[in-house]
Amino acid sequence: MTNEMTNEMLRAPAEVKYAAELDWLESIDDGPKPFSWRLSPRMVRLFVLGSERSDGLDREIPQKWFGDRGFVERSIVTLASDRGLLLIGDPGTGKSWLAELLAAAICRNSTLVVQGTAGTTEDHIKYSWNVSTVIAKGQSRESMIPSPIMTAMEQGVIGRFEELTRSTSDVQDALISILSEKYVSIPELDTDNTVFARPGFSIIATANSRDRGVNDLSSALKRRFNFVRIPVVTSKTSEAEIVRFRTAELLRRHRIELDVPPTLLDILLQSFADLRAAAASATSEDEKLESALSTAEQIGVLEDAILHSHFFGDRTLRAETLGGSLVGSLARRAPEDLAILNKYWHGVVEPRSQKDGGEWTSFLEGGRQTISTLS
Amino acid sequence: MSADMSPVVTTFDALRGQLLDAAEAFSGGGDTLSGILAGMVDDVDRMLREELEIFPVCHHSPASALAMTRRLRTKRPKVVYLELCEDLRPLLDELRNCRLPVALQAFATQLDGFPPGSGPLSVVAPVTEASAEYQAIAYALDTPGVELVLVDRSVDHVFQWLPGEPDGTASSGVEGVDGEEAALHGDAVGVEIGDLRPRFAELEAHLLHHGKVRHWSEWWDQYVEQPLTGADYDTYRQAMALIGSLFRRLRPTEDDRLAIDEERERYMWTRIREHLTASGADPADCLYVCGAFHAVSRVAEFGLAADAPPYAISPRTGTRWLYGLIPSSHSAIEAQFGLAQGSVSIAAATWAKAGRRGGVTPYRLEGQQGGRTRTKTVKTVKGSEPPATAGPAGDRLSGFLAAPPVLDGLDEDELRGWCVDIVRLARRGGYLASTADAIAVFETSILLAGLRGRARPTPYDFADAAVTCIEKDVVPGRRDVRRLCEILLGGDRIGAVGYDALPPLARDVYDRLEPLGLDLSRRTQQRVLLDLKANPELEPCSDVLWKLRYLLPDGAVRPIMGVRRLGERPIQESWDLAIGRHQRSIIELGYEGVTVEQVLEQRLRRTVWEPQATAGVALTAVADAILYLGGRRFADEFGNRAVELLATERTVDDAPEVLRRIRRLLAHYRATEPELPAWCEAFVTVGYAHYCTLLPTAFADDDTGVRQVGAMLGFLFTLESLALSLGCDRAQLELAVRQSHPEAPAKVALLWAAKTQLGLLPRDELRARCDELLSNPLVVPAFPLYLSGFVQALEPVPALAPFVVEALSKAFARLPDPVLLPWLPTLIMTLRKHVPELVPVLVREAGRTFPGGLAELDAWTPPWERPAVPIRQGRQTGEAGAAPGRSGPAAALLARHPQACDAVAALLGCPAEWPAAEVPEPGQVEVRELLARHPTTTGAIAALLDR
Repeated sequence: MTNEMTNEMLRAPAEVKYAAELDWLESIDDGPKPFSWRLSPRMVRLFVLGSERSDGLDREIPQKWFGDRGFVERSIVTLASDRGLLLIGDPGTGKSWLAELLAAAICRNSTLVVQGTAGTTEDHIKYSWNVSTVIAKGQSRESMIPSPIMTAMEQGVIGRFEELTRSTSDVQDALISILSEKYVSIPELDTDNTVFARPGFSIIATANSRDRGVNDLSSALKRRFNFVRIPVVTSKTSEAEIVRFRTAELLRRHRIELDVPPTLLDILLQSFADLRAAAASATSEDEKLESALSTAEQIGVLEDAILHSHFFGDRTLRAETLGGSLVGSLARRAPEDLAILNKYWHGVVEPRSQKDGGEWTSFLEGGRQTISTLS
Repeated sequence: MSADMSPVVTTFDALRGQLLDAAEAFSGGGDTLSGILAGMVDDVDRMLREELEIFPVCHHSPASALAMTRRLRTKRPKVVYLELCEDLRPLLDELRNCRLPVALQAFATQLDGFPPGSGPLSVVAPVTEASAEYQAIAYALDTPGVELVLVDRSVDHVFQWLPGEPDGTASSGVEGVDGEEAALHGDAVGVEIGDLRPRFAELEAHLLHHGKVRHWSEWWDQYVEQPLTGADYDTYRQAMALIGSLFRRLRPTEDDRLAIDEERERYMWTRIREHLTASGADPADCLYVCGAFHAVSRVAEFGLAADAPPYAISPRTGTRWLYGLIPSSHSAIEAQFGLAQGSVSIAAATWAKAGRRGGVTPYRLEGQQGGRTRTKTVKTVKGSEPPATAGPAGDRLSGFLAAPPVLDGLDEDELRGWCVDIVRLARRGGYLASTADAIAVFETSILLAGLRGRARPTPYDFADAAVTCIEKDVVPGRRDVRRLCEILLGGDRIGAVGYDALPPLARDVYDRLEPLGLDLSRRTQQRVLLDLKANPELEPCSDVLWKLRYLLPDGAVRPIMGVRRLGERPIQESWDLAIGRHQRSIIELGYEGVTVEQVLEQRLRRTVWEPQATAGVALTAVADAILYLGGRRFADEFGNRAVELLATERTVDDAPEVLRRIRRLLAHYRATEPELPAWCEAFVTVGYAHYCTLLPTAFADDDTGVRQVGAMLGFLFTLESLALSLGCDRAQLELAVRQSHPEAPAKVALLWAAKTQLGLLPRDELRARCDELLSNPLVVPAFPLYLSGFVQALEPVPALAPFVVEALSKAFARLPDPVLLPWLPTLIMTLRKHVPELVPVLVREAGRTFPGGLAELDAWTPPWERPAVPIRQGRQTGEAGAAPGRSGPAAALLARHPQACDAVAALLGCPAEWPAAEVPEPGQVEVRELLARHPTTTGAIAALLDR
């Protein structure tokens, strides 16, 4: 069943994808569980961060989120407490992925999501009405359309709010009463007009630290969230691990069998590290690439290169393709980004290819061609 | 004692067998793993069997300190051997005068036997109260009949044995640490008792990963510190030795630190043996305190019964070491030894708590300053019995290894206190924190601790919880919540060296600043006002402060109001003093001399006698000597050196500096002394001859700037009268000017100015030359350069000011914009930077020349464009030197009374000739006639003037 479902979905939610694993963990879990949690906090941590030999499990649980253990622990503990969890970080640091994993592990439902945009209204957080039913039968619970958050309250599970700071302040503030009083009243109804949250309800919100200040949180709302700040991964080994893990998943999804040679992965990581260093020392916005150069961005570049060589190439990932994809993905603003990449290509990649040779030479060539095509 | 130990051998057999079985199960046995595991047990076994009781410690470990206190109370040893540089021993007696933490320091500037340029060498050994070594020191020093022997290599050997560069093994320096407290140790090399840490990164990372902790201090706290805090002595000893053995056996093969460690172990055992032989003490009454790493040493010299050949201790170098105590702080210790931020503070807090709970009275040096809580502790636990540790030691290791760490239960009161306090602190620190946050922190701490498998939240769990619940924004400049947690859990404690432990110089400074009535030990900045007119008795304080300002780094003493300059005597001064915060600097000054004056004198003398010293430097030293040291002796010595330096100088680079300084000094001496000092006269005569000699070269040399040449000319012209009175010859200067043939336009202008001053070039010719330059289109672009030269010439030839104003005006009027505009910034910069004192002269002159209002400007003609007055024509046409003085009231007076002039002429042997009686000039006659015809006007003016 699960396999069929997974096959039919382009991207299965975590609770579907890791259903077998979650079932097994639930079966061996003997730790205390808060509220209606399906797993104990330790098992949630184990699910997210993977198992080790020292855990003494019969089955190996792979690591799914890469980052400091402390962040995961603090997040889990926050969900077990009275407050909501707000994950803050640069784009591409894995906030939403962590939120999805946590929701899947805790309540087996990670799909109760509200996406925060400038057009999000209070209805998306509370409830709205099915107009035709209202005309036919009047306002009743039947004609009400509960929002994902309200559904989460009713079921006692985790609701998610993506990009909280993109929605306007008054919409954000609708969360205040939900998080403190833990109920939503429906004044339109005469009876049965309060939806109480069941134990186990909590909210995981994510916010992009680059957009902070667009609609900054009110201090009343801040008080009801615990903030967990997720930094950009800078350790090269864990970054390599993440890129490998995510691309393997993507390849599986696209049903492509293709090897990513370690040397090419090194080149990708190295060039991102260089570009990040350049961005850190830049003095104005024009000297920085528009991209945040996050790990997700690297995965995007690699995916692009893989798809390109799979469909248009000889089904082998080559350094030229990677160079082309890197330029293609990162050059977003016409003169500025291209100028930076051009400078990088001739100032860093060229000397390196002369010094180290190997794949760097073809990487240089591929990038150069794309730059000339784009400019 | 050794008889007691024999059953131990058999008790460890079970554990050894168990470990070997485990090794067998993991890797098939017979390999390195089983070797390591069995070896560890053997190591512990060997340490226990040693006749001299070895006490393994770890640095900043309250458990070690606690076990030490208990052991000292039961055993009461007569001799304590301590792993600490042996030559630091005299300093330990001074510890009681200090507020801990302080660091024992050895310092050397005069190196002998070390590569030149590697100095100054400095070693620090910090001492905190929560350490086993402090317990041992306090016990040994305050118990009569107990001897404390330091057995580790001397500080000299520390540097002798350093591999390669000085920052090889011992972590030296404060790279990457911020904060003033963290930099308290300066760039000294740190030594510490009981350094116990994995020797390679992978092992540490492995332990941290599997211990599910963030850093080493947390791992240690959870897996060693807490289980051992309440453990009995045997368990403590065996567990510590086991850890020491683990790190000793698991180390990279290329680790060259082991060689040094083994050398030290040989050294220590040799010293112990020597002491035992010399004093005849019974080994059973002795205790050897060393790091757990050394307790399981495998060198041949280990143990009193070792039959290794005697170890020859290498001699010290000839370096002269100076010793003292400097203040230290928890953060300085953390920075120096690479510990996690806040770990030493947490250890101190744990120690205080363990002391309160454990029923142990810690040892404390009599008269020890600070630590108010400790005295209370002593009172509350008085009379409580230390746990008995009699009987032979069995195998405590198996139990320790088999059971999970026994951790403390939840202490709700303590945690609640922390939560309330952190919210209070956070609110004070600008965070939006409320009681609700305190509750959330409490809940989160417990949940986090539970998730991490402990019942009682450690300070680290608590800090994590506080960060999660309170920190919402990162505001630069605001303390982050983690830092607030550290402050809450004891905070950074900064030590201070007490008055009695200070070197004589520092004590002298404190004594002399006593009249200010300040608490100099305070670490805050203190403002002090000195009204020297009302309280002349404060003048010596002011003197000391000025000397300290000269000697100490910026910020230690800072004058807010008042300056000390030659010829000035301040009436009021105000100072910002931060002496307490810069105690280390004052103490290190104490290594240089006995009084501030002596150090000052040495420093001045050193600068003056340095090979690269210049005359300018020497003159500065003269001024400093007059200002700070008073008296003529030093000033004369440095002055003579200045003369010497000037005579041998081959460049004129610091001519401007020399000119400025010597002028000021001459003015000072003229104002205060009946006659100039001999060196001043010598300086002027030598300088006159020197600069005359160098003038032609300086004019021609491209590398010498126009400013330098201007300063040389300034010296020659402005000090000319003095030089001539001292026997110099003006002809030398005239010749030098004649020999100068500069090519650079600015220098050409300077030369013209010099010639004008010397009378070699009349003013009108100078004007004509300038006009010529301006009228030649090929030279016009270079005209600004000439002007720069003239501006520089204002200093040596101040009388040129009207001409400079004229030249500038002409330049503004006639230079084309493409030439003029780019040059203007240069002109302004030159004026501001080099000749600021001449700008008023120029402005005044310009004010005299130009009309004051706009109305007059229309009708105004510059003086240089007015038609020449006839008298000037007359002068120009007449023979040189004949024209002036023929007419006027002076001439009339002389003509009326010719006797004096005749007498002088006779004396000089000249014929006294008087020109024919003055014939009134034609113009004058007419005027007189006119006035005589119409006397009314003159009468009216006379009446007006009378009124």
